[in-house]
Amino acid sequence: MKLLLLALALAIPGIARAITVDDMLDHVDKNLTYDSRESSVRMTVVKSGTTKSYLMHSFGRGAEEMAMEYLEPARDKGTKMLKKNDELWMWLPSVEKTQKISGHMLRQGMMGSDMSYEDLMEQSTWRDAYTGTVVGEETLDGRKVWKVDLKAKDTTVSYPRRLIWVDQASYIPLKQELYALSGMLLKTWTMSDIRTVGDRQFAYKMVVEDKVQKNSRTEITFESVAFAVPLEEEVFSTRWLER
Amino acid sequence: MELILSMAVRNLGRNRRRTLLTALTVAIGVALLTIAMSFVGGVFWAALEKVSAMAGEVRVVTPRYAQRDQLMPLSENIPETAALEAAIRASDGVTAVYPHIAIGVTGAVGDDEIGERFGLLHGAPTEFYTERLDLDAHLQEGTMPSFGGEDWASVGARPKFPVYALVGRQFAEEVGAKAGTEVILTGQRQDGSPSGMRVLVAGVVDLGNSAQNRQLWVSLDAARWMTEIPAGATELMVFGEDWESAPELAASLRDEAALSGLDVRAWSERPPYDGLVGFAQVLHAIAGGVIVFITALGVLNTMFMSVLERTAEIGVMRAMGLRAWQSVVLFVVEAMAIATVGGAVGVLVGAPVSLYLGHQGIDFGAAVDKLPPTIPINTIVRPVLDWNVALMGVVLGYAMALVGGFLPAWRASQIQPVEAMRSRR
Repeated sequence: MKLLLLALALAIPGIARAITVDDMLDHVDKNLTYDSRESSVRMTVVKSGTTKSYLMHSFGRGAEEMAMEYLEPARDKGTKMLKKNDELWMWLPSVEKTQKISGHMLRQGMMGSDMSYEDLMEQSTWRDAYTGTVVGEETLDGRKVWKVDLKAKDTTVSYPRRLIWVDQASYIPLKQELYALSGMLLKTWTMSDIRTVGDRQFAYKMVVEDKVQKNSRTEITFESVAFAVPLEEEVFSTRWLER
Repeated sequence: MELILSMAVRNLGRNRRRTLLTALTVAIGVALLTIAMSFVGGVFWAALEKVSAMAGEVRVVTPRYAQRDQLMPLSENIPETAALEAAIRASDGVTAVYPHIAIGVTGAVGDDEIGERFGLLHGAPTEFYTERLDLDAHLQEGTMPSFGGEDWASVGARPKFPVYALVGRQFAEEVGAKAGTEVILTGQRQDGSPSGMRVLVAGVVDLGNSAQNRQLWVSLDAARWMTEIPAGATELMVFGEDWESAPELAASLRDEAALSGLDVRAWSERPPYDGLVGFAQVLHAIAGGVIVFITALGVLNTMFMSVLERTAEIGVMRAMGLRAWQSVVLFVVEAMAIATVGGAVGVLVGAPVSLYLGHQGIDFGAAVDKLPPTIPINTIVRPVLDWNVALMGVVLGYAMALVGGFLPAWRASQIQPVEAMRSRR
């Protein structure tokens, strides 16, 4: 009887980990999405041996709205971006005009980084956009992870396939491989420096590498982040861009 | 030999209708050949000359730029060009050096969205625009701006003076600009970050082909500011005495110590132009070959008839001591004489037609727009007739007669006198 109880006790954690992919994605989405957010972000772009560092202040409301202002370097100071639903607006100090970005420009790297404007435009949660299967369990940077193969439900997403490594403790995707429809690896995206912010887990550091371009790497470090903050309505308007 | 020549000339008059028909065949062949060669020359050689002016007879870039030059990677620039320009200028055979920056931009007027209408922006010295591209001669409206003189070093976030641009007709139409319109251009800096610049359209140029008409030209300083390459360029374009000897100039420049570690190539040695010369030559050869072959068949036919008609006569002549090779010469000379007359008539007919088409032009319209933007073939193609084409027409006229006349002549030389004299003819 004692042996039976011991066996049950050992089996319980395993049973607890037998999670469905949809449940897992719900947890991941909970970490990656928010009602409102204000943050200071340092973005360092390393390309062909040259390094450029940007400091941005950004505001977000849900998955649909995001506003971002560049504070450094000097020449980019005052550059602003505004995402509203599926539209992206930009204010460049050099032309002093608000302009909507569309077409080919959306596929360009944001400020020359490995993140495209399309990456910013992603709105749907992973649970809504992908179906997947757990293909294994591994240890990544000393943390137990699920390796999950996600396939897009339709063609509206930027990456038809994502291979993700989800931390079993925090539900943060510590590593992602992003693939094109052809199967070509486009980018890798890693998250680290996971901290608890309120009731969520948040990765303070991300590294994105464009695998199509060689010698290209973008590091994103959150200097500060706050969730559930009150934000002025004007921040998410084109008036804010021109202010 | 004199006897054979006089016999050959006399034979031409024996069946005047057939001689006239053969000469006419050669004349038509030579005329077609002259027109075809002029056309191919008009399309390709004109495009190649334009390509060499547009892309530089010899181009100096970094090896990494050369590897990805289709993408025009601004990050792979030559950071300082002044010393290199001086070294190249001092080299034998160099007549001009221009630093050049090419950058893909999107253009918008007023509140239009950016990212929909594309153009290729050039920054280079004014002399390149006027002496190599002849932009001032192709102004459709507006004026040639006086590029330069602005204090770009002190420009901060935005130039406070007007930045003038020349704009290709097609790009101007697409964005809805004309002389005096302000166009907002968005491109990239060398680090890939977005860079914007307002330009004032000084003039709209029509260069006759969609590749160049989708382009824009600003001062080198403006392009340097926009791309954040303050003292450099993506490429150095070098010009020598003539565009056809660019490979020799490139070879000599490759030996210059100042250019070691850089990619130095003539326009004809790098893609997408490296195959063009060969392609043009193949087209020439195919056009010439087909016409020569068809015409030679006509000559062959009439000359064979001549041999058959004169079998008995040849037999008698052979019996009287005419050697086999002499009978070959007899018929070949006949063919050559026909080719001389036919060739001359062919050139006299083909040359004016080529000149007329060269003057009028042949409008290929939208079909040319489907060609790659790096190959500037004009919408209106003008055949170009030069003495080489006319001379080639005459030479190939002889080739037609020789090809068509040799086989019958050989056949005549093989006739046995006894058998020939037995024949009815």
